[in-house]
Amino acid sequence: MGLTVETYASAAEAARALAAAQDARYLGGGTLVMRAVNYGDQSFRRILRATDPALGRIAAQGGRISVGAGVTMAEITESRELGFLAPAARAVGGPAIRSMATVGGNLFAAHPYGDLAAALLALDGRAVLADGREQALDELFAARGRGQQPLVTAVTIARPERGAFRFRKVSRVKPKGVSVMSIAAWLPRSGGRIAGARVAYGAMGPTPRRVPRVEQALEGRTLDAAGVQAAVAAAAEGLDPPEDAIASAWYRRAVAPVHLRRLLLEEDG
Amino acid sequence: MSSQTRVELRKDLFADERDDNLNEIGRPTARQDILGHVTGRSPFFDDHQFDGLLHMRCVRSPHHHARIRRIDIAAAERMPGVRRIILGRDVPHNLNTLLSLIDFGRDDEPLLATGKVSYVGEAVAAVIAETERQARDAVAAVRVDWEVLPHVLDPEEALAPGAPIVNETWPRNVFEYHDKYTHQKLRFGDVERAFARPDVEIVEGRYQMSPIEQAPTETCGAIAAPETNGRYVCHTSTQALFFSLGTTAKLLDMPSSRLHFIGGTVGGGFGGKVDSLHEPLAVLGAILTGAPVKYIWDRAEEMQVGAPRGAERWYLKDAVTRDGRIVARRFRGYFDCGAYTRLSSYAVQKATGHLPGPYTIENVSSDVYCVFTNRTPATAMRGFGITGVDFAIECHMDKVAERVGLDPIELRILNAYRDGDMKAHRRLAKNTALIECCQVAAEKAGWPIRPEFAAMSSLTGGGGDRAAIPETVTDEEGRVDGTPAARPAPRPAAPAPAPAPATASTSARPAAPATRPAAPPATPPAAPPVAPPVSAPAPAAAPAERPQERPAQKPYQPQEPFTRGVKKPGAHRFSSLSGTRRR
Repeated sequence: MGLTVETYASAAEAARALAAAQDARYLGGGTLVMRAVNYGDQSFRRILRATDPALGRIAAQGGRISVGAGVTMAEITESRELGFLAPAARAVGGPAIRSMATVGGNLFAAHPYGDLAAALLALDGRAVLADGREQALDELFAARGRGQQPLVTAVTIARPERGAFRFRKVSRVKPKGVSVMSIAAWLPRSGGRIAGARVAYGAMGPTPRRVPRVEQALEGRTLDAAGVQAAVAAAAEGLDPPEDAIASAWYRRAVAPVHLRRLLLEEDG
Repeated sequence: MSSQTRVELRKDLFADERDDNLNEIGRPTARQDILGHVTGRSPFFDDHQFDGLLHMRCVRSPHHHARIRRIDIAAAERMPGVRRIILGRDVPHNLNTLLSLIDFGRDDEPLLATGKVSYVGEAVAAVIAETERQARDAVAAVRVDWEVLPHVLDPEEALAPGAPIVNETWPRNVFEYHDKYTHQKLRFGDVERAFARPDVEIVEGRYQMSPIEQAPTETCGAIAAPETNGRYVCHTSTQALFFSLGTTAKLLDMPSSRLHFIGGTVGGGFGGKVDSLHEPLAVLGAILTGAPVKYIWDRAEEMQVGAPRGAERWYLKDAVTRDGRIVARRFRGYFDCGAYTRLSSYAVQKATGHLPGPYTIENVSSDVYCVFTNRTPATAMRGFGITGVDFAIECHMDKVAERVGLDPIELRILNAYRDGDMKAHRRLAKNTALIECCQVAAEKAGWPIRPEFAAMSSLTGGGGDRAAIPETVTDEEGRVDGTPAARPAPRPAAPAPAPAPATASTSARPAAPATRPAAPPATPPAAPPVAPPVSAPAPAAAPAERPQERPAQKPYQPQEPFTRGVKKPGAHRFSSLSGTRRR
């Protein structure tokens, strides 16, 4: 048997077919699935895709923004609505990859990929599943670690206050290098002091993850050398980063405080 | 230093030797093939479209070294889309060595392994199916019963007594040079006498280089298809079209007049596309199916199975006078050629011809082994044979400079060869330029050298005494004489310590004997023959138990074995290249 490609008009139909199948992969932009095909991955025989226009939509919803799972990195960088997210989208691959790679695919991209997903996580991202349920990205990633891969149709994220969202990707080759780590931080401030920070790392675990100790250490602090000291000290606490061809776990732990400090002390955008 | 990136030509240095009018360097020049590349029109082998193209993929060894007890293709043969599964028995002449085309070496490598495999990734069967995916699925369904054998991955360990025999064609685990020696020898002057001089320091070093993958953007591959009149066309990525053609003719036992080979753009070669593994299998596939067949490696195969520049290990020992003259240099080198010879035998000869580097040293001795291990066979890559030993030599020059307290550039200038000097391979040096290179490099780097060194020249001071071939001590170390005797001693036995050259060696290796019986019998007396006779390269180590597939397919044999014609392919008898003929 060869490979078959099945196209569905709605995301819901595709999700039902995916849930019922043992031998299928869902194709978003194809930057991961087609690579697997080209490299002879024998773990699937069917490729499912959906032409649902809702997948490509970017829409404001109250204080939040809904980003369709089929929206590409290139579309994010071109969107006025998502300007704050552009640096994270631009950190993914080169122009060819960005023109195909989707938001939904990035949520399920294995380490060391998933830089955008870390940004979405920091922005209080919630996945909208094909059956209409919503799931916080923390939970989605935890479930992904257990092998669950539901079809996501959109991600809703908070709209950060101007200058309150920061993103930094650390790679050895620029541009287009894969991550040593990426850091996304949403740092709302009240009276100059941080209130309700959300900080997430990419490439520092099997999936993107938040760093609660850093978030707690930032609470009520100011963004100056003294204010970020405790957060920087906690940068790598309790982490067990992966070893790969790019960096050892030791190295990732060692440089995490350096890069976190740089991110926190950079001038407001 | 100037921040400009202008290239400066120093034609003045050799104005009377070269009358060149090179006018390319420093100017923008379009590559000859760039228009095709940037417009997407360069024809690569894989751009050729064929109706009903079939796809070939190989079943590969997961082991470094294993006997093949049985290959069960029954289930794979029945899988959808599978047209044919080729085994070693289908290859008419399933034993070859690349350089047999110029009569150098012995056939030692099957196209598809039969009796045993000797490296991870060695092919034992080739599946032809209608789609690549079907071929992959069928490959996964081929069952091979392996009997894992002990393996050896280090060249010096491969030379140790009791090491597993990697390749039965070479029972000593070394390529035998000139059918006489376990290694390639070079003798020039008498290094041992120089090492024993009271006025020299001995500097030793050990250097090694890992294999390097050529990593072409286009992986190696070929498409073959039946033409009319019993001919087959083959589009290939090869770097060496007629080499691939001759190899195919030999392995498939067919006249080259029935092969129509078409090259094209090589999508990155760097030496990694000369091994001619794809063309014979693709053509055999086209013969057996009557349809066009494509055989191309994926990236993982290119990295694991594709032959790299081989690993090398070098031991250097110098005798240096206090004023920095190197008066003797001894080399011991180990080329890790992997499981089969490919081009490593030649790399060793290139390396030997290069010694002792661009320096004039009056006593040089070298023993370089081309060693078989259970690693991926090594092959050509830019400057192969030279790169590794040059790395060793130049590291060692720095070590010598440090030891005798000389500036490293001045040391190089002092010892550099000059026009008219005798080289260790007994040719006079000409067009030498190391001194000038050093001077210009020092100047550009702002590295001060003393005026007398800045004034030296390659054009003067050479020749005279330096043109003489010294009285040379020879020996029979590593002599084979056709007897399948003991393995070579990896290092000569060191019977007596040197009579104290007034220095301590930092190397882990003991100083070699400096006593001077003209030819110490370094080779151990011929041990009772334990290995099979050298002259019997039983095809792929004649498996004790033949694989017992059900004879669903009869082994392929050419209808008319190629016996007519002027010459059998692959039987040309050049003798000029290596200077030797098979006797």
